[in-house]
Amino acid sequence: MTMTDPRPMVAPARTSTDLVRPDEGMISREIFRDPAIYDQELQRIFTRTWLYIGHDSQLRKPGDYLTNVMGEDPVIATRGSDGKVRVLLNSCRHRGMTICSTDQGNAKFFRCPYHGWTYSSEGPLVGVPRSADAYRNELDKTRLGLVEVPRVETYKGFIFASWDAAAIPLIDYLGRDQLWYLDIPIEGALGGLEVLGPTMKYVIPANWKLAAENFAGDDYHVLYTHGSAFQIGFLPDYDTLADYIAYFDHGHGMGDIPKPGRGLANDLMMAEHFGPEAVDYVKAYNQRIADRLSPEQAAVHGIGQGNVFPNLSWIKFGCFHVFGLYQWHPKGPGELEVWQTTFYDTGAPQHVKDYARSQMSQENAAAGIFGQDDGENFEKITESARGAVSRTLDFNYTMGMGHEGEIDEPTLPGRLGPHYSEQNHRNFYRYWRQLMTEDRA
Amino acid sequence: MTSQLVDLQREAELFLYREAKMLDNNRFDEWLDLFTDDARYWMPITESREVGQERGPVAGEWALIEEDKRFLLKRNERLKTGLAHSEQPRSRTRRFVTNIVATENEDGTVGVESNLLVFQSRRGSSEQFFVGCRQDRLTRGEDDWKIAERVILLDHRVLPRAISIYL
Repeated sequence: MTMTDPRPMVAPARTSTDLVRPDEGMISREIFRDPAIYDQELQRIFTRTWLYIGHDSQLRKPGDYLTNVMGEDPVIATRGSDGKVRVLLNSCRHRGMTICSTDQGNAKFFRCPYHGWTYSSEGPLVGVPRSADAYRNELDKTRLGLVEVPRVETYKGFIFASWDAAAIPLIDYLGRDQLWYLDIPIEGALGGLEVLGPTMKYVIPANWKLAAENFAGDDYHVLYTHGSAFQIGFLPDYDTLADYIAYFDHGHGMGDIPKPGRGLANDLMMAEHFGPEAVDYVKAYNQRIADRLSPEQAAVHGIGQGNVFPNLSWIKFGCFHVFGLYQWHPKGPGELEVWQTTFYDTGAPQHVKDYARSQMSQENAAAGIFGQDDGENFEKITESARGAVSRTLDFNYTMGMGHEGEIDEPTLPGRLGPHYSEQNHRNFYRYWRQLMTEDRA
Repeated sequence: MTSQLVDLQREAELFLYREAKMLDNNRFDEWLDLFTDDARYWMPITESREVGQERGPVAGEWALIEEDKRFLLKRNERLKTGLAHSEQPRSRTRRFVTNIVATENEDGTVGVESNLLVFQSRRGSSEQFFVGCRQDRLTRGEDDWKIAERVILLDHRVLPRAISIYL
């Protein structure tokens, strides 16, 4: 197309099928801007997939609760007096008020600030002020409990929920191949993983997919976007850190996977610098992976970063790195809120914890040198989809097309690709398109 | 208020005003010279909790920023690489430091509390404010003061933007 092409005064309506052509590596800018498409995403993607809610270590006792968001629907996760975790829509059944306005805490009940309707921490409506005279005792409280998200499942302490009562089990959604990698830091942690302090939250004026696809395996951007980190010696040569990316069913993808052996070697080199206690820790961590999982997983040791479709990204290099989760909460087509949670191995030596904690703040977080540059990229890309002409153009995701499946590394599961490829982006948008277009019974 | 305390207060105010000006003018190396070599810089995450269940910032939990002068030097070095994209071009910033109260600590250092309002203008029309308070511990040398510790407590639960400037 050239800019002198005659164009119709009104562009014909395009569907998600035309706009998103992963097999050609072409994705229209429209899907990062169009409010109607965004609305469809909330309905078709965020109510059908499994979304991350929180971690068991945040809900230890009955009455413990935390708030989160599913798409744009605010929810409360609570542990009931029966010990069960429920996820409830954070909205009064009377007139919709937000009934819980805090991050987390402990509550025996939730009372709506507007008229005082009161719900137990399991969700049922247990109190309506002046029920006798205001409602003549005709209100059927049994039908007015907080709306409960129908599916809640936990994978090794990580709580997910889905609005789709017919969703496949969480473990199948995440998939055996992806979990092969994610199990490594979960099982390697000597004392188990625990949430380390509050959730960090900040705004990026950008479409949520740009952050998700980036974590799904855009290793290519690290070279230039994060060039400053290499120049100041924050990271060694990128090609000494990792080798592959991989994608999985249901749109999931990850990057920065080291060749077997590399992850442990890098960690041991780093541990030398910290002293013998750190060396012992690295060895024990690796041994634990071998014992509880497999020698092949121990050979990978540190796993990189990735995205669990749709909007949960994670990061975890070796032992000197905390396990970080990022939720890219959509706030309209042009804005997202990052909710970042950090986990650490309670069994790590104190000085390793101290280092890892501070290092994550410096790296991939609100004031981190990676986080701030990424945010600026996502923001400018989102802006690029606004103009009447610009929005008719496609983004180019053709890297590595025609070369998929060429990596021969038989111990590593998933669809492997080289360090630099956009195969994972194409996989992300293939699943996105499937959910946006398929009709469900 | 004794005249000694008035002098201390006045000196602390001038110190913070001069410091703010250095940052507003992007004189980052000069600014970093204001810190002691073992300075601690901590910006915890603000939470929203129910009345009665509040907790202050907890040492040992992760923070927006938790570092020493070594990494602040690295941040400065990064700004000079030409690849610090979030600050290329530089943001225009204006700092308002108010409600300053200086008190003398038993160890001879000076505790200074102040309120902070920072305006950031990025590129074209990207604009935001950061609001919070600082709790500084300053040391007094022969003829200059240094920052030995800076704690910044932001009032935002959700930050309006990633933090690419010094607060």
